[in-house]
Amino acid sequence: MRDTDTVLHMIQELIAIIDLLIQTLSVPFVQRALIGAFLIAVVASTSGTFLVFRGLSFMTSGVAHAALGGAALGLFLQHSGLVPWFDPILGALLFSVFVALVTGYAGETGMTEKMEVAVGVSFALSMSIAVFLMYYIPPTQVPQIWGYLIGDILLLTNFDVALLAVTAIVLVLITLIFNKEFIYVSVDMEGSIAHGMNARAYHYLMLITSALAIALATKAVGAILVYAIMVAPAAAASELIKSIRGIFIAVFVIALVSELMGLVASFTFSASPSAIAGILAAFSYVVAMQIKRLRNRVSINLDTLPQHDEEVNHFLLDALDASAHEGYDH
Amino acid sequence: MTQQFLFEVKDLAVKYPNGELALYNVNFRIESPTFMAIVGPNGSGKSTLLKTALGLIKPVRGQVKVLGYDSVRENKKIRKLVRYVPQRDRIGLSVPLKVKDIVLMSRLLKKPPPRFASAKDKEMARDALKRVNMADLWDRPFPELSGGQRQRVLVARALAGDGPILMLDEPLAGTDHESQDMIVEALGEYRNEHEVNIVMVTHDLNPIHTLVQDVLLLKNTVVGVGTPCDMMNTELLEKVYGPTARVIEYAGHRYCVTHDSGVDRHY
Ligand SMILES: Nc1ncnc2c1ncn2[C@@H]1O[C@H](COP(=O)(O)OP(=O)(O)OP(=O)(O)O)[C@@H](O)[C@H]1O
Ligand SMILES: [Mg+2]
Repeated sequence: MRDTDTVLHMIQELIAIIDLLIQTLSVPFVQRALIGAFLIAVVASTSGTFLVFRGLSFMTSGVAHAALGGAALGLFLQHSGLVPWFDPILGALLFSVFVALVTGYAGETGMTEKMEVAVGVSFALSMSIAVFLMYYIPPTQVPQIWGYLIGDILLLTNFDVALLAVTAIVLVLITLIFNKEFIYVSVDMEGSIAHGMNARAYHYLMLITSALAIALATKAVGAILVYAIMVAPAAAASELIKSIRGIFIAVFVIALVSELMGLVASFTFSASPSAIAGILAAFSYVVAMQIKRLRNRVSINLDTLPQHDEEVNHFLLDALDASAHEGYDH
Repeated sequence: MTQQFLFEVKDLAVKYPNGELALYNVNFRIESPTFMAIVGPNGSGKSTLLKTALGLIKPVRGQVKVLGYDSVRENKKIRKLVRYVPQRDRIGLSVPLKVKDIVLMSRLLKKPPPRFASAKDKEMARDALKRVNMADLWDRPFPELSGGQRQRVLVARALAGDGPILMLDEPLAGTDHESQDMIVEALGEYRNEHEVNIVMVTHDLNPIHTLVQDVLLLKNTVVGVGTPCDMMNTELLEKVYGPTARVIEYAGHRYCVTHDSGVDRHY
């Protein structure tokens, strides 16, 4: 009797949860947030992965902040009446392409270190421009600029979602067609040119499409989320996974799960979904590093101490246990 | 038929943007087909010469012609003919490409996008890997291989391609004797079976001097050019490697001793 009671109770509870879920899911801003989360995960698994392959994860933050500077310029031009039609998003796109071009130019020989410096410099430049222009923008408009930094996936407009969808579709198409080229440029720029591939063009194509995607994503969900979702999952996946396709899929999954958990968290207790998603994504990287270290340690133990199989197994189980608990705590 | 030259280099000078004069006064001609070695110590401009020939770097003076094509104006044509392997440390390891993907590069790079590998491409790649005894590693991630294994895979990349010129920048660097023999043998065999030119950069003439026909001794300018026999000359080697270089003769064979090499027999 008691058993059936508890089961009944559980079923009732489950129904209540599903009901709540359906109710929540029918709210337009939640739908937009979910679609947005999916699209940002697509951007992360394409652009984010290529940038990490290229050793350029830093460019994401450079471009996201440049977008902010560009938006400030756009607002300034609009409100000073100099160029009334100049939408802030145009400024954001312009500045992000500028960062991509400077970075690309520095990296034409295939040297990543030089590109990092270029990103740093153009990052500083565009932030300075943003702060400089803020003095000349009506104070009521300034929050719009900061929106680029903090953003909110729960405040997406239909237009934002449409823009993100177009971005994601274009990125997927470009990735399907040119993934080999982008990879060849990352692996062996010199050899690619020597075999007659127009590596320079693909080098710029990759950087510019990534920059545009980052700027548009930044406009939609804010720089913080973009940075967290674009860099950490790709870094985590490429630590652990030994196939390129596997990395693309893993990045997508990690990014999407982090974002969804961020959204769920923001509904259950009031928290910024971007912040939670960012923390989870960053955490995925820490976990990946931990698993990698564990793997190495285990394989060393197995190599050097084949007679202690038993012990190694215990050790492995303990360690896995510990890391699993760590995982659930959050 | 008129004589074709693999390289025709006239009054070449190459300068890097930082002012480094990597090559000057370079003049030489090498007849095609050949198996050629470019020999010289670190910083002697060996890689620079290859890159200039491929049109990756523009000379500040003079010109390089590869099979009659000018390296600046006609580099597109040269790049159709060439299979190039840069120095190993120029290959990025941040992408988990498989061994097969690396070997297929030389074939896929000459196709238009989306560059799908045909059955023939795969067969050629597999065959090339067999030649350097690496076929078992077909599906292994390239960044996880040892230095010597990577070097062999890169040689396979050149062997798998098409085009009458193979340019290999230090394919023997960081390899043990076994890998060295394997690579040298594979190249020699390939050259016997195919009508191709092989150009190979190396510090050390000894492992290859029995195979190569032409040797270019380089130290930012041409120190000597000729057959391996001619280059096995203490006076020339001293110019390149300093006063410790020796050539010794023993039982009718010549041996070349420099700091960069062990001792090896010259037939
Ligand atoms: N990208 C570059 N920028 C500036 N100087 C360079 C560059 N690459 C090479 N150099 C300089 O040009 C000279 C020749 O270099 P190169 O790489 O051609 O030598 P190398 O004979 O291939 O040497 P190694 O045996 O070490 O590969 C060196 O003095 C080097 O410092
Ligand atoms: Mg070199």
